[in-house]
Amino acid sequence: MKKSDPQFNQFDKLHHFLSIDGLDKATLTHILDTAEGFTSVNDKSIKNVPLLRGKTVANLFFENSTRTRTAFELAAKRLSADILNIDLVSSSTKKGESLLDTLRVLESLQSDMFVVRHSDSGAADFIARHVAPSINVINGGDGQHAHPTQAMLDMFTIRRHKGEFDKLCVVIIGDIKHSRVARSGIAALVTLGAAEIRVVGPQTLMPADVESLGVTVFQDINKALADADVVMGLRLQNERMTSATIPSTGEFYQAYGLTPERLTLAKPDAIVMHPGPTNRGVEIAGSVADGKQSVILQQVTYGIAVRMAVMSIIMGHGEEVREAEMNKA
Amino acid sequence: MTHLRIDNARVIDPANVFDDNRTLYICDGKLTDTCDHDAHVIDATGLIACPGFIDLYARLREPGFSRKGTIESESRAALKAGFTTVFCAPDTQPVIDSTATAELIKQKALAANGARVVPMSALTAGLEGTRLSEMATLYKSGCLIASHADQPIDDTGVLLSAMEYASSFNIPIMIRPIDPAIAGNGCAHAGSIATRLGLPGIPVAAEAVALARLIELCKSTGCRLHLSRLSSARSIELVRNAKQLGLPITADVGIHHLYFTHEQIDGFDVNYHSAVPFRSIEDREALREGVRDGTIDSICSDHAPHDTDSKLAPFPSSGAGLSAFDAFTPLLMSLPDLLNMSLIDVIAKVTTGPARIIATQAKLITAKNDAFNTEHYSLDIGTNADLILIDPSAAPLLDAPDFISQGHNSPLIGLNSLEACTGEDVPLQGQVRHSIVSGTVKSVDA
Repeated sequence: MKKSDPQFNQFDKLHHFLSIDGLDKATLTHILDTAEGFTSVNDKSIKNVPLLRGKTVANLFFENSTRTRTAFELAAKRLSADILNIDLVSSSTKKGESLLDTLRVLESLQSDMFVVRHSDSGAADFIARHVAPSINVINGGDGQHAHPTQAMLDMFTIRRHKGEFDKLCVVIIGDIKHSRVARSGIAALVTLGAAEIRVVGPQTLMPADVESLGVTVFQDINKALADADVVMGLRLQNERMTSATIPSTGEFYQAYGLTPERLTLAKPDAIVMHPGPTNRGVEIAGSVADGKQSVILQQVTYGIAVRMAVMSIIMGHGEEVREAEMNKA
Repeated sequence: MTHLRIDNARVIDPANVFDDNRTLYICDGKLTDTCDHDAHVIDATGLIACPGFIDLYARLREPGFSRKGTIESESRAALKAGFTTVFCAPDTQPVIDSTATAELIKQKALAANGARVVPMSALTAGLEGTRLSEMATLYKSGCLIASHADQPIDDTGVLLSAMEYASSFNIPIMIRPIDPAIAGNGCAHAGSIATRLGLPGIPVAAEAVALARLIELCKSTGCRLHLSRLSSARSIELVRNAKQLGLPITADVGIHHLYFTHEQIDGFDVNYHSAVPFRSIEDREALREGVRDGTIDSICSDHAPHDTDSKLAPFPSSGAGLSAFDAFTPLLMSLPDLLNMSLIDVIAKVTTGPARIIATQAKLITAKNDAFNTEHYSLDIGTNADLILIDPSAAPLLDAPDFISQGHNSPLIGLNSLEACTGEDVPLQGQVRHSIVSGTVKSVDA
């Protein structure tokens, strides 16, 4: 039996954003629609809306990150929230403080929302289950489990270019096994009804029973790319290059690199995506990353609007909980 | 010494294939035909009397980890489970690789007045897998099995040597098969659930490869090999084949593995984070079949009490293992229905089964009151009485205040059926009412 989903509050509203698992199509579509509204904010010369004025968002990054942290920071600022960046990589946990103790300390800073990144799969779930009920939690990446805002910005990018999902063939290339981006992306594509989701890579980079996620597995990239609408690359982590999972980055590029020649196997209007940072000449050719089919930089831009949407939606639901708590007191 | 008469019990004695009503007499601590003394009478109507259970794998946590459990708390919790003898794992701190540590544990256990505690010696010094422990000296002092706890032995040469050495003294060795290079930092069965949750997986091959290596070494050394806490269908197959070859191999399974699968870890439920992972339904069915057909000789608790803080962490960082003693009796009592086995055959898995694994040479051990010997698994007349009385229909004592173990890390806390955990309609009932260790009645209360 599955434990209750901690993402929902007592009013059955999305209170935390931890994982795509457990969310229905309507919820995901609502996030995408809300993000559409925010893209216009980002195009204006004064890029702020007052939705989160007076609220404090704390970025709790137990693992290094520049891009994701900055994107959340910008999203919070555009919603007029105060933002705290707390560098936890080099502080408390190194001193042996337990995660729960660190949380308690941060709760007492009177934040309204935590954005968390942690190297343990399930860390965001754990934090959401143990945090004070008035605080909203957003998962900024937990271990190899989930990176749901990345998945939503990917879906946003796909929808902008391709419209509805039900006719799309999406190919994800590379290290599925260790990738939270892949897991969340697959879950979102399944929920949004993508026609076909293919994953391709050597068996060393595939998790056990990967088909159970709702994907078709390919070992041959040329077959996988045939007639694809969307091609997603994944970053090959440095540690994979030094372990026994692949022989060399050169051989990986030979076998699975997204080259201009291979891209011609996909549909002519296929888009190329990558969560970044890219390793040029390892998983993707520079000319493909910079090519006209690439939407890699748009993903980054849309990431702001999508995170604004997630933050405003769950902060709104948080208000109901905070009011209920006030009435109790 | 106690003089006791137990009336109206259903006596189940697997060693003598006996299952019938019978009056039991205990006179001067020994089972007798009759008793001339003024005996205290227990009316055991509705109760089952059977030899005290023997647990081949439990962590008592002391010395070294008394915030998780003490010999006192855990040996008393063992009585609630029906165990009158508990083999305690050597992964204490210090590791049980010296007679001093073994003696300390035995002394503490005597003072605790709970179940009899038999320390297991570490197969290698410090469980480091490089040098042999003084296993013969430890064996003479009462460490009847040399075990490597949950630690793998990387070096096959050391393992071969340990098995050769152990076989020179006919010491049984106990190994949990796991290949550390394959298991890596895995914390769950490598399957669909771990894949969705992004948890590093432990493939079946990690167990099977290590097991195949052990079987080969057993063949070449003749060492008595006990395989501890198997988890997969493939392991059952390998052990079944090895036994057919007549190799001196025995095997056990942790009781929770007969009930739980990897489905239970969904939602990152740390209560199901176990060092030996819960695997697929097919694996669980194979373990059940192994118990039925005798491939599995014995069922152990795999008791792993933890303090609250150890479980208050994200799944991969949480302490591995389940506190098993408090729920053991109800789980065991459900097995006959679940496995379509007779109660006597199930009880054999916690009495004659484990006893035969270790008992061959136990006569060598001076039969002190505290020592385990061959008598302690039957209700033969003339033996030191080691028996328990179980009320099979009593409500299980599974609410938190009822827990005797210091570890409350059990997913069964507060339950009276397994339906909420596994979806299987398995009732949890049964209580050990009395526990008699070497002729002395011990209290089983919280």
